[in-house]
Amino acid sequence: MTDERFERLLREAAQQYHRPPATPREEMWLGIAATRDARRRRRLLVANPWLRWGLGIAAVLALGIGIGRWTASLPGPAPVVATGSGDQGLFAYRVAAAQYLTRTEALLTGFRSEARSGRPDAQFARQARDLLGTTRLMLDSPAAQDARLKGLLDDLELVLAQIAQLSPHGDNEEVQLINQGLEQRSVLLRLRTANPAGPGPVRTQGAL
Amino acid sequence: MEERELIARVRAGDGASERALYDAHVDRVYRLAYRLAGDDQLAREFTQDTFVRAFERLASFRGEAKLSTWLHAIATSVVLNGLRKVKRFRRREADLDDAAGVAGGRRAAEPDLKRRLAQAIDDLPHGYRTVFVMHDVEGYTHEEIGASLGVETGTSKAQLSRARARLREALADFAGEWAS
Repeated sequence: MTDERFERLLREAAQQYHRPPATPREEMWLGIAATRDARRRRRLLVANPWLRWGLGIAAVLALGIGIGRWTASLPGPAPVVATGSGDQGLFAYRVAAAQYLTRTEALLTGFRSEARSGRPDAQFARQARDLLGTTRLMLDSPAAQDARLKGLLDDLELVLAQIAQLSPHGDNEEVQLINQGLEQRSVLLRLRTANPAGPGPVRTQGAL
Repeated sequence: MEERELIARVRAGDGASERALYDAHVDRVYRLAYRLAGDDQLAREFTQDTFVRAFERLASFRGEAKLSTWLHAIATSVVLNGLRKVKRFRRREADLDDAAGVAGGRRAAEPDLKRRLAQAIDDLPHGYRTVFVMHDVEGYTHEEIGASLGVETGTSKAQLSRARARLREALADFAGEWAS
C-alpha cells in the first residue's frame, strides 16, 4: 500500500473517530450564561467588603437565632433547664471567647513575627477581617460583661481593624504603628493572660 | 456585521452580539472538543469554559490574529488542560480498579479495524494526537494549528507526519484490509 493511499484511507476512517453529535447550542448557551452570572455575583461580593461582611454577620446571626429557637423548642424538664441555663450559657460564651482569643493570639503573634522579617502577607488582613466580625459579636455578648475582657476586646477590635485595612502595597510605617500600638497597650501579654495556653477546658480557667 | 464591529459591540456589553459571536463559532469549538475528548459531557464543559473565558478576555484581544484563531487557541488550551486532569483522575481510578482486581475491557483486544484505529489514535502522544485530529479529522490548516497551539507551522507538519507513521505502524497487521 502506498503512503498516499494509506493517508487517504486513514483520513476517511478517521472521520469516524469520536464523531460528534449535533451541537447542543441552546443548552451550552444557558450553561455559559449561568456561569458568567455566578462569576459576576462572586466578583461583586469580593469587590464590596461591606456586602461581604454584612452577609457574614447576617449568616452568623441567622445561625444564632436558629440555634436559639431550636434549643428553646427542645422538650425537656423545665426546672433543670431553669437552674442550669445561666451557668451553662456563660460557660458556652467562655468557650467561644477562648476559641476566639486563641485565633486572635495566633494571628497577632504571626503578624508581629512577619513584621520583623519584612512586610506581612495579605492573608493577615483577610484573617483580621474575619475576626473583626467575631470581635463585634463578642463585645455584644455576655462575655463582655467582664470589664477586663471588654477592655481587651476593644483594643483587639482597633488592632484588627488596622491590620484589616493594611493595603497590600502600603509602606512599612503602617505596620510599625500597629506594632507600637500592640506593645504600648501590652495587647499580646493581656491576651495571653486572658487565655492561658492549654487544651480548651483549661483555657477557660484563666481570666475568663 | 464585520468581525471588528461585532467585537466592539460585545465589549460594550451587547447581549445579542455575544450570542451572534457564540453562534458563529460554537460548532467548530464543540466539534474539536468532542473529537479530542470523545465524551459529550466533557466536550460541553470545555466548550462552555472556552466561551466564558473568551467573553471575559475579549477586552484584551488586540485583533492581531483572526478572532477564530484567538478563540481556538483558548479552546485547545482549555481542552488539553482539561484532558490532562481527566487523564490523571482516570489513571488513579484505573490504579484502584487494578488493585481491586477488576479487569478492564481494553479496546485493543477487539479485532475491529475501526476500533483499532480509534485505539491507535488514543495511544498517540498528546501533541501528535492533537495535530492529527485537528488536521486530518477536523480539517484545520497547519497555520491554524500552529497559531492555536503556539507552535511553528513546521512543527505542526512534522508532528502530523510522525502521527501518521505511528498509526501506520500500529495498523500494520491490517495492511491487507486497507489495500483491498
